[in-house]
Amino acid sequence: MNQMFMEIWERPSARRSLFFILVYLSLLSIDFSSLYEGTNFALGATTQIELTRGLMAAAIVLNFVLITRLPKRIQLYVTWAELLILFLYFFYSFDLSYGYIWARLPHLLGFGLKNGFLMGAALTLFMCVVSIAASTVLALVAALARLSNNGIALGVSTFYISFFRGTPLILQILLIYIGLPQIGIILNPIPAAIIALSLCYGAYMAEIFRAGIQAIPAGQGEAAKALGLKDVQIMRLVILPQAIRLIIPPTGNQFIAMLKDSALVATLGAWELMYMARLHGRAEFKNMEMMITAALIYWMMSMSMEYFQAKVERKFGKGIDVSSV
Amino acid sequence: MKLFKYTLLAGAMVIGATSAFAGEALDRVMSKGKLVISTDAEYPPQSSINADNELIGFDVDVGRAVAKQMGVEAEFVTPGWDVITSGHWAGRWDMSVGSMTPTKARAKVLDFPAVYYFTPAALVVHEKNTSILQTSDASGKKVGVGVSTTYESYLNKKLVIDADNVPEFSFVVDDADIRTYDSDVLALDDLRLGDGVRLDAAFTALPTILEAQKNGYPIKVIGPEALFMEPLAIATAKGDPELNAKIKDAVTALRADGTLSKISKKWYGGDLTQ
Repeated sequence: MNQMFMEIWERPSARRSLFFILVYLSLLSIDFSSLYEGTNFALGATTQIELTRGLMAAAIVLNFVLITRLPKRIQLYVTWAELLILFLYFFYSFDLSYGYIWARLPHLLGFGLKNGFLMGAALTLFMCVVSIAASTVLALVAALARLSNNGIALGVSTFYISFFRGTPLILQILLIYIGLPQIGIILNPIPAAIIALSLCYGAYMAEIFRAGIQAIPAGQGEAAKALGLKDVQIMRLVILPQAIRLIIPPTGNQFIAMLKDSALVATLGAWELMYMARLHGRAEFKNMEMMITAALIYWMMSMSMEYFQAKVERKFGKGIDVSSV
Repeated sequence: MKLFKYTLLAGAMVIGATSAFAGEALDRVMSKGKLVISTDAEYPPQSSINADNELIGFDVDVGRAVAKQMGVEAEFVTPGWDVITSGHWAGRWDMSVGSMTPTKARAKVLDFPAVYYFTPAALVVHEKNTSILQTSDASGKKVGVGVSTTYESYLNKKLVIDADNVPEFSFVVDDADIRTYDSDVLALDDLRLGDGVRLDAAFTALPTILEAQKNGYPIKVIGPEALFMEPLAIATAKGDPELNAKIKDAVTALRADGTLSKISKKWYGGDLTQ
């Protein structure tokens, strides 16, 4: 039985027929009846609808077959283009008010200033860039403390990592914004957000840094010691340059996650992208318009971060073939 | 020695933060010549944002008028509603003009120097609804409200309004299946999906409902239009009677010279301030 199935599966025409049936069945979930409302066909409406469905399924199968004939790179681009068109059509079907999006877009992107400071996507980006720098330093310090022989350093660092990895970011933001004033430290929303993001992501990245450092074989450090290098030199000149290749890919991942988590700051009323989308969405009951616009802006920003990450990987990844990953 | 100094400093900061001195907030406002006002800009026509990215609305105009009456400039900040109602503002802003109902629970962390207008609270259903003909029919039904709002308290039968001259009201909805939202408008968004799809009804301020209707929401108000009349007050952080007195005087003056009525007519098409 299994054998027979495998043999059928080997034949392209059989595979495609099966594929056609599957696509046809999934198209059954879509109601085409509105397409032919009010028009008369010789075959009758039901036949016409089933015919349309069949043709559509055939077109989809043909599309796949044609794409697989192309070189791999082109396949990639064509697939992206097709998915993007489908995606945009999905939004288009919502019947959105494009005039409204166009009028409010500059505010979401953050052209202009709010009380002399950045707003919208520009503010989101600013908060993330500062948090990225701060969290990298924090993560390195925490990772080194975690690996040190000093019990106090180990205690402080594990406590920090445990707390900030173990509690929701939204609570950390609120604790820093509402909690700290109880002991006299009064922060504005933007610094509070930056501190929360830095602390939270510093904790996650500390573990990534530790793993990267530990992945370098002990023999490397021992050999460097035998050559007479001091501990700091061993870390700076031997271990870290090798560890960084392992650290960068997951770190880039964290930065992209941070970009989107910064939306939680909307709770404090900092005028970043998410909050601007909320305000402008509520202003004339056009939530969907503003949410989709904000989603696309976040996506664009993430994509440029991905691009940047690939560049950094290429620069620091000497010795590892990142293009094949 | 250094450690001692820091301990002292930290101690001083703790004391400074926990006790607000009378007149402290007023001094801050007057010396800066600036009244920092918090508003929740997600509720047209009370407070929202226009195409030029400026805050507009009834609350915003009232805030400006109060500041002008006090002879200082107005500056607006927009923290989340939860953050405003949880008190402990730490001097970040001086007063909230956010259409807030003075309740007993809120009075524990906030002061309410002046009521500046009243709005009816109304139940709203989808246009196609036929089962809820009067408010009490909402008993046991899925009703959407904003979280930490008076509407939520009303459905829980825990609402106690802490102000003078408030008309009596009774709780007519029993055991509603309460669904809370981040904002009242989100409840209306769910209601518009269809009758009973996610909600059978929503419960919020009449002006919010009318504004949504104006923007094409397929919803209708169920009578009586006012389940309770909400007095809406300016709020301040607890502990500065001098600032409160100043705000109270300003609102009294604005009511007397007709400014409040004028602003109300501009945004609500009627006078809700008397």
